[in-house]
Amino acid sequence: MAGGKIVSIHSFRGGTGKSNTTANVASQIALKGKRVGIVDTDIQSPGIHVLFGLDETKMGRTLNDFLHGKCPISEVAFNVGEKAADSEGRAKLAGKELWLFPSSIRGREISQILREGYDVNRLNEGFQTILKELKLDYLFIDTHPGLNEETLLSIAISDILIIVLRPDNQDFQGTAVTVDIARSLDVPHLILMVNKAVPKYDFADIQKQVEDKFHAPVAGVLPLSFDIADNASRDIFSLRSPDHDWSKALRGVADAVAAVK
Amino acid sequence: MPGVFDRLQKEIEDKQAQGGITALDLADLPPVLRKIMRLMLRELQLSYPQLTEAVASFPDTERIPRNDLDEALAALTSQSWLIRIGQGEKAIYKVNLRRKAGSTIASGIWNTLDSKLKK
Repeated sequence: MAGGKIVSIHSFRGGTGKSNTTANVASQIALKGKRVGIVDTDIQSPGIHVLFGLDETKMGRTLNDFLHGKCPISEVAFNVGEKAADSEGRAKLAGKELWLFPSSIRGREISQILREGYDVNRLNEGFQTILKELKLDYLFIDTHPGLNEETLLSIAISDILIIVLRPDNQDFQGTAVTVDIARSLDVPHLILMVNKAVPKYDFADIQKQVEDKFHAPVAGVLPLSFDIADNASRDIFSLRSPDHDWSKALRGVADAVAAVK
Repeated sequence: MPGVFDRLQKEIEDKQAQGGITALDLADLPPVLRKIMRLMLRELQLSYPQLTEAVASFPDTERIPRNDLDEALAALTSQSWLIRIGQGEKAIYKVNLRRKAGSTIASGIWNTLDSKLKK
């Protein structure tokens, strides 16, 4: 098998902070000196590029171009370590080995994928090519919430699946579905992360409840925070505010990923 | 005149058109077949000797006897979930995922959306 690990980040419902988590965990692992890629497979509603300072004007080739056979996957790579030192947090990634493979934010290209579908073999070939050509230690896949082809494929090929959930009954029910599917697909390592926990509650108690319910380790319980909201996806929060409680807990999740052998 | 690679590519495309597996189907496979498919998803394509070598490197408890491997490969290729090019020791196997279908909503809606987005 290819040397690097595939890490999928998923949540059954939207709004859990999945893309924010992906960007932060991947950045923390890149800071450790690892070679890291991030693919945005949330083709219907892409967003992680914003956290890396990309907008439509700066975006070159995208995953959509690759899926339509217009370019090789290598042309989609945006080298964060070379180009994203334009904010206090992202500046810490200068010189690091971190690449982003964004999905298109152009309406016509999103509608084209939805209308025509695409070759799922090509998407998988893209993942494996990225791992090998860039000699990645980790390839993070940011998924669309819920279950669709991209999400299921990414779960099926993952070495590690991180499921992000809020301490909310709707999230609990949806997470049970994803956990069942992950186990059915023999995903080797399943990690849960609770995000947006209301600070007045006992986080150790939340962790125990979630671990007991899903029989899987919780790598971190991260607080609901106005500071994160105020960041408004302008920057990589854990790099910008490393001493914040959210950032400390996030680093625990990154450590859990790095600890998987 | 098409070369050998053109003909092989055409053969692969013809077989891909016959169907393919979805990631959700993987969950319903017997463990041995699922293990082979997960391996193939990561490796994309393997020759038969490479496959037997990879399977031999599985942990003891997960190792697949040669006969079971051959039966599994036959089952997976018969469903067009794996595509086999060539025979016997020279066979090359390639995973075949089903194409993601496009939207089934009326095309007029997409045309209207496209024309709006062009503005």
